[in-house]
Amino acid sequence: MALINVTNASFSYGSGDIFREISFSASPGELFCLLGPNGCGKTTLLDCMLGSLKLKAGDIRLDGTSIASMRPGELARQVAYVPQKHDRTFPYTVRDIVKMGRAAYIGLFGSPSRSDEEAADEALETVGIAHLRQRPYTQISGGESQLVMIARALAQATPIIIMDEPTAHLDFRHELVIMETVARLVREKGISIIMATHFPNHAFYFQNNGVATHVALLHEGSFLAAGAPDDILNEQNMERLYGVRTKLLTCDGYGAQTIKQIIPLGTV
Amino acid sequence: MYGAVVLAPLVCIMLSLCIGRFPLSFGDITRVLWSKAFAGGCIVPDSHMSIIWDIRLPRAILGALVGACLAVSGAAFQGLFRNPLVSSGILGVSSGAGFGAALGILIFNTPAAAYPFAFFFGTVAVFCSLLIGRVYNTTPAIMLVLGGVIVSSVFASLLSFAKYVADPYDQLPAIVFWLMGSLASARYRDIMIAGSPMLIGIAGLLAVRWQINVLSMGDKEAHALGLNTTRAKAIVILCATFATAGAVCVSGIIGWVGLVIPHIGRMLVGNDNKILLPVSMALGACFLVLVDDLGRVMTGVEIPLGILTALVGGPFFVYLLKKTKGGGW
Repeated sequence: MALINVTNASFSYGSGDIFREISFSASPGELFCLLGPNGCGKTTLLDCMLGSLKLKAGDIRLDGTSIASMRPGELARQVAYVPQKHDRTFPYTVRDIVKMGRAAYIGLFGSPSRSDEEAADEALETVGIAHLRQRPYTQISGGESQLVMIARALAQATPIIIMDEPTAHLDFRHELVIMETVARLVREKGISIIMATHFPNHAFYFQNNGVATHVALLHEGSFLAAGAPDDILNEQNMERLYGVRTKLLTCDGYGAQTIKQIIPLGTV
Repeated sequence: MYGAVVLAPLVCIMLSLCIGRFPLSFGDITRVLWSKAFAGGCIVPDSHMSIIWDIRLPRAILGALVGACLAVSGAAFQGLFRNPLVSSGILGVSSGAGFGAALGILIFNTPAAAYPFAFFFGTVAVFCSLLIGRVYNTTPAIMLVLGGVIVSSVFASLLSFAKYVADPYDQLPAIVFWLMGSLASARYRDIMIAGSPMLIGIAGLLAVRWQINVLSMGDKEAHALGLNTTRAKAIVILCATFATAGAVCVSGIIGWVGLVIPHIGRMLVGNDNKILLPVSMALGACFLVLVDDLGRVMTGVEIPLGILTALVGGPFFVYLLKKTKGGGW
């Protein structure tokens, strides 16, 4: 059964729908990639799933319960969030930041207990940045800081994590570090991840690495197409979605797997 | 750590009992406190008793309370507004209270009327800021800050007007003196009256101090982390307003403490508000008690607190900044 069900969702900030009549679902251990040009409403859709914006029509259900009826604390035990760009303010230590992932389990007048601290340390280990735990998070690199955000989401111990362009502004290596971490979380921990991204090749990367991947192309407020990367990510759809001419390449990687990549050729 | 937080202000209060124009030794102090507690106050000279018990002790206690309130609400607001330049007066408490005090002095012709008016208008100013900040359905931090700036400037103008129409021989000096801040008139009655909002404010802020960490991640992230942001913000603003208004109405306007003491705290113990808030509170209490002592004995006449806080604190802040290299701050 699907873990998260979005049915006929519509949203507008006033006049003119940002998106309308969108439906999709994601199951445990599945990665859902949301693709679309800048300003197509990806972030707005994610904000609705996080409960920070309210749908104009339609419904988002987690395990059958509508998120409109859930309190922030309840929702945060189901869905965690990795922001695209985190505004750093005070130089909290990395561990302090990850501990904040436990807020949903701590009352309004409480503070983290021993078990919350252990959960934070475990999340830091899982993501592989335990050595950074005492560093001020304003002094680490962009890639490391994104790993901190993922660790915080893990500390939240949710079945679903929503990521908004988690690799934006990262260098060649760190982009891959994040992708590998995300793939590992889905495969090994069975977490469902809903991810907005600008790069069609990210979807192929996950598919190439044995992650159950779904893709949806958000275009002018509705889904142009949705399904497996193989069926959806082709030259015609890329031209319709981005206005870009592309070439789909297939080659043999190491072992028996086939690697697919989309190469941009030029704008239309 | 928490032991030091309680102990340090107590030590400063004890110390300030010994300091003053009338010289008293530590032995005199202990005898007075001992006799007050166990012997009905009959084994020490009356002059000692009244200087320590009726003048210096209430003044030191009030100073500690006021310093603690200003520092702790400053620290809380800096976290809430995610801005290190914010102080306890950001939502207009101080300017509202300033105008209120002036109005009280104008109407009733006595500085005693300043207390209730200052408290009332300080609170009113914050509610005005909140109303302005709610122009949109949500209350983003930047709109609240903007609301505070607008309300502060309006009340500053009203205060100028009050000064303009005040009687220049009688009322105007009273207003100006009140605005400079002083603990000189401190009595137990003041502690009783203004103490309750101050203590309620402090207790509330301490209770939600870890959640201020989460709030400082910004509304969207704090919500995604599971915090009821509206409720948490309301508690912080309400408690900080109570604490600051309670402090300002008995002490007048004392700047600097609510802005810089939290930063001194950050240099010493880091940014986690769980530790920072109690530490700021203790630092604020110690700082104000000691500065008040200085103001009492430095010259023949008392120097108003509002003047001394920045004069003493500024160089101290720079010294700490150099010494700790800011600690990543």
